[in-house]
Amino acid sequence: MSDSAPTTWQQRSGWAGVTQTGRFGRAGGDPGVRLDLLGRQALATIIVRPGEEAALDRLMQERLGVALPATGRAAFASAGSLVWSAPGQWLVMGPAASALADLPQRLAGVAAVTDQSDGRALVRVGGADARALLAKGVSIDLHPSVFAAGATAVTSVAHINIQLWQVDDAPTYVLAVPRGFAGSFWSWLTAAAAEYGYDVQQVPA
Amino acid sequence: MRIDCPCCGLRDNGEFTYLGDASPARPDGMDASPAAMLDYVYRRDNPAGPHRELWYHGAGCRSWLVVTRDTRTHDIAEVAFARDAARARDAEKAVP
Amino acid sequence: MSLALDRATSAAAPATSPATLQPFRTAAGGLIDRSQPLPFTFDGHAYTGVAGDTLASALLANGVRLVGRSFKYHRPRGILSAGSEEPNALVELRTGARREPNTRATVAELYEGLETASQNRWPSLRYDALSINALAAPVFAAGFYYKTFMWPASFWEKLYEPLIRRAAGLGRAAEAPDPDHYDRMHAHCDVLVIGGGPAGLAAALAAGRAGARVILVDEEATPGGRLLAERRTIGALAGTTWAGDAIGELRAMPDVRILSRTTLFGVYDHGQYGAIERVSDHVAVPEEHAPRQRYWRIAAKRAILAAGAIERPHVFGGNDRPGVMLAGAVRAYINKYGVLPGREFAVFTTSDDGWRTVADAVAAGARVVAVIDSRFEVRAGLTQAAVAAGARIMLGAQVIDTAGRPELAAITVMSDAGRTETIRCDCLAMANGWNPIVHLDSHLSRKPVWDARISAFVPGGLPGGMTAVGAAKGQFLLSDCLDGGARAGAAAAADCGFAAVSPPPYTTDPESDAHEPLWRARAGRGKAFVDFQNDVAATDIELAHREGFRAVEHLKRYTTLGMATDQGKTSNMAGLGIMAELTGQPLPQVGTTVFRPPFTPVAIGALAGHHRGQDFRATRHTPSHGWAEANGAVFVTSGQWLRAAYFPQTGETDWLETVRREVSTVRSAVGICDVSTFGKIDIQGRDAIKLIDKVCANAFASLPVGKARYAIVLREDGFVMDDGTVTRLGDTHFVMTASTANAARVMQHLEYAHQWLYPHLDVQMTSVSEQWAQFAIAGPHARDTLRRIIDPAVDISNEAFPFLAAAAITVGGGIAARLFRISFSGELAYELAVPAGYGDAAWRAILNAGASYGITPYGTEALSVMRIEKGHVATAEINGQTTARDLGLGGMMAKKKDFIGRLMKERPALIEPERPIVVGVRPVDPNDRIRAGSHFIGVDVTPGPEADEGYLTSVAFSPVLGQWIGIGLLKNGAQRHGERVRAYDPVRNGDVVVEICAPCFVDPKEEKLRV
Repeated sequence: MSDSAPTTWQQRSGWAGVTQTGRFGRAGGDPGVRLDLLGRQALATIIVRPGEEAALDRLMQERLGVALPATGRAAFASAGSLVWSAPGQWLVMGPAASALADLPQRLAGVAAVTDQSDGRALVRVGGADARALLAKGVSIDLHPSVFAAGATAVTSVAHINIQLWQVDDAPTYVLAVPRGFAGSFWSWLTAAAAEYGYDVQQVPA
Repeated sequence: MRIDCPCCGLRDNGEFTYLGDASPARPDGMDASPAAMLDYVYRRDNPAGPHRELWYHGAGCRSWLVVTRDTRTHDIAEVAFARDAARARDAEKAVP
Repeated sequence: MSLALDRATSAAAPATSPATLQPFRTAAGGLIDRSQPLPFTFDGHAYTGVAGDTLASALLANGVRLVGRSFKYHRPRGILSAGSEEPNALVELRTGARREPNTRATVAELYEGLETASQNRWPSLRYDALSINALAAPVFAAGFYYKTFMWPASFWEKLYEPLIRRAAGLGRAAEAPDPDHYDRMHAHCDVLVIGGGPAGLAAALAAGRAGARVILVDEEATPGGRLLAERRTIGALAGTTWAGDAIGELRAMPDVRILSRTTLFGVYDHGQYGAIERVSDHVAVPEEHAPRQRYWRIAAKRAILAAGAIERPHVFGGNDRPGVMLAGAVRAYINKYGVLPGREFAVFTTSDDGWRTVADAVAAGARVVAVIDSRFEVRAGLTQAAVAAGARIMLGAQVIDTAGRPELAAITVMSDAGRTETIRCDCLAMANGWNPIVHLDSHLSRKPVWDARISAFVPGGLPGGMTAVGAAKGQFLLSDCLDGGARAGAAAAADCGFAAVSPPPYTTDPESDAHEPLWRARAGRGKAFVDFQNDVAATDIELAHREGFRAVEHLKRYTTLGMATDQGKTSNMAGLGIMAELTGQPLPQVGTTVFRPPFTPVAIGALAGHHRGQDFRATRHTPSHGWAEANGAVFVTSGQWLRAAYFPQTGETDWLETVRREVSTVRSAVGICDVSTFGKIDIQGRDAIKLIDKVCANAFASLPVGKARYAIVLREDGFVMDDGTVTRLGDTHFVMTASTANAARVMQHLEYAHQWLYPHLDVQMTSVSEQWAQFAIAGPHARDTLRRIIDPAVDISNEAFPFLAAAAITVGGGIAARLFRISFSGELAYELAVPAGYGDAAWRAILNAGASYGITPYGTEALSVMRIEKGHVATAEINGQTTARDLGLGGMMAKKKDFIGRLMKERPALIEPERPIVVGVRPVDPNDRIRAGSHFIGVDVTPGPEADEGYLTSVAFSPVLGQWIGIGLLKNGAQRHGERVRAYDPVRNGDVVVEICAPCFVDPKEEKLRV
């Protein structure tokens, strides 16, 4: 709205009030786990209309420079990332808050776009013990022969439905947690990470 | 138990919700008779053996699935998207 | 690489070793470290063991043989076994909050400072007052519960049960919360090997060498199984050295995981297994951040069952006397722990392997006085060691009785000719063949089958992907274990796509497994026990037989045979064998019971893991949670959500007072409530309206863009599933809300309708429940308040934005939001949705904006009071048993479209006039209080089920009326307004005369709503 003053309302991360930054858990040695709390970024659900998958693929390649990832796969690019999340459905992420503002228009008639930027809290999980840590919560097989960089899964951890994807073979993962569950999820994550020692940082998306 | 979701792979049964028999088809539309609807809602076979049943992958891809499970052994012979099974069902129905 | 599994090394202990303080510790040998003394206590007495001991081996090393009292008769008991099958030596470990009862001393690893105590004795282990039960044994015979404590029923609670519990209780659970935590881990592998004995190690080696992902699970601190308990050679290596080498090789493989101190307790469908790893049970206090135990959920493509076998005791008089032990256990104590369980041994065997005990005992410096073998002939050469030791060899003889006070001092042996003779000894080793561990393979209801060659049950049809090897399959020769294990490991790896090569056959020292079982010895004077843990004697089985409880399942339940925590690991076979003799049936015809998980007891805490206390289940926080918490809100759980129930202010002492203030403020000024917990579903697509019309029972095709409408969702059986709203944001774009409690169910239902019922519809649907914070702003000043935060261009005047209007707007300076003019309170009200990240800011901004009007935050209690005042139905009425008609919403049902539940809601029983329908209720005396759950009964009618006319579903104290009001479901309710009935609540002494009225107490003409 052109006649409005820019907002003075404070935006609040899903992690606000439930996380603390710093080194925790097992003392001594390098922390086995690194937890990076990702700042807010643009995030939306894209659901393709029947028969429009090829058109959507073309539009996304034009817009982000990446093809629609196949089932269980994610594709990362500087303009934005695409993560498969259900049949005919993807999460699209953009670096800045307004990065995806044009999508509903651009994809009109091809796919439904629904803003979810505030609906998820994202955490990046890395470090030598990242895989073991996640194995405490997710029942899927994270062995590198099965789940490697570019893989994604929608599953549950500690009775909380989450989505995770692996960004590199270090391995490093990103977990997207429903905002309202951030507190309960954090309680599980930090309890599970304590034996490895963990370091929490706030980082931009 | 584990169910091999067609898009998510083998998952613990805790991720799924059971609904029941996948064979009855809804008597749809204003012409449907109360008797047919009563059968659809309540009448079920209880086979000892293979059983096509609906499961919902609620903690995963939110797909409804048709799982063919042997009720005696829990062996699962086939898992398919309910949407595909439903389209096949409707296509069959459309044939005169 | 060789691990410290070499007896030669550990035997080189310094002469000044504190082990010398332990009178039954051998000078050398065993897989223990005599240089590491470990002080511990048992029943307050200080003892010392050494590193590598179990509590059982340390007690035996100190000459402690009496360690517990039995369950029913309080008989003195010792240590029977050296493993997890132990039925007798159940003790309490540790003290205080970490006290753990009923732990088997044979698997409890010793650590420095371990405090332990015997159980089930008073005043002391040696002088137990309740051992008088043994004199009353006839009373406690099989079936005594059924026979004795029969009548009257009320005696159970008051007399019998407390009495039985006091007398029969075993250990005491800790009284303080467990200070430790329990962890969970999911693991996946190609080949799961269950058991780390020779067969399991050979299997793991073969699979691992092929490149398969392998998990090897073993109960003990170090894998090796019987190789650690016997003196064997494999090729040129001692068995222990071979095991150490195998473990070393496996550890070096990147995709092989060895889980020691881990019990695989359950086998589940589709290759899933449950195991408990005892991470910290062998230390006094878990390392910081380490769990006490870890629950492993393992998924495996193939599993190799190498769980081994359990030796069978003999059944003879006094066979439960401390000092009477399994022969394999005696060898384990000697060879593995460097402990002599006695000084003068006798062996009672029916199998060749029993004779191994002689050489082992002699080598460790003990005397063997006699070997009693009930067979008349044995293989030449078997007796060689016994002859050399000067032991008496008594073939065709049986042990029939024991003596000692209470520890074993002598046995009575009866020759084949019936001549009895007493022989002094302080340890009797029993060898009566072995039972393969068929527990795990029967967890999926596969019945074990009889193998006549070994007179035991072996795995029958195994669950998919599982094979049994070694002793678990009934192959007791070491060479068979190794070769069979290697073949199975290679085959399992090959099944998973790995090229595997079986190693050449293993060679071992000479061995034989000939055996003729003896299900019970000839009768002696003493009680001959079959099930030690549940005190079931051979005579109990005779009694069961006499009284007709002969089928195996009846035998089990009548006598409690095999029903203790050990599931009859050492007893079931003897029980079946005796029943077979009594009925004259061959044993396989008697049959066997199957086993259920868990194989050994599992702590509930280990299964719960993280999920206890505050983390018992996941909770969801609303966007205003931080503010509410900081401002003293009292929370209530609603579904998974934690919602503010009310917001007490300073000086308010009673929740009712707070709720009254909140309601009055909303009705007279303005209030704000966080309603973000409602489910919100974004529905788009050309056919979105078609799907909505199928799912909702009222009509939606006519809903214009920019309007919200109340929505009722039915189940196909005609009952109401949920209610909410549907708003048309654009021509093909809708947002639907569902109640907090039913949000997930409604989403699932919509997906069901879309994917299964109407798969051709062009609909795109996703939950936006977490994306949007949503606040109800209600009260005469709602619009005034809202105007102060929405951007100036938005017109929310009554004309521009009437009741049920909806629009995308901006607030707070350009923030995209949605505004709905809907009301649950009956007041002028709006719901404002903002992106959840701005939820906290919006909440604070609204409170600021409304401050000059006296705005109050209100919680679910006030929300509920106001909806009851308005007669709106909620979860208490939409309870799965009510139709739209019952809820007074019948008129809204669409007539001209098909929708889910359309036909079934018209079933005769659901539309008959007598069926309870929603009404309003107010006490005739305004000072009376009514309670939800009260039943409606005619004023002059005697209460009873036939007199029941319905019940009160919701009540509230109405600040507007100044009295309690309620809504309920009453027969013929719509026709009975003005009539009086009783709200009858015998449980809480409620009996109040109430007047029936329309279910709306405030502003029935809706004048406040539409201004």
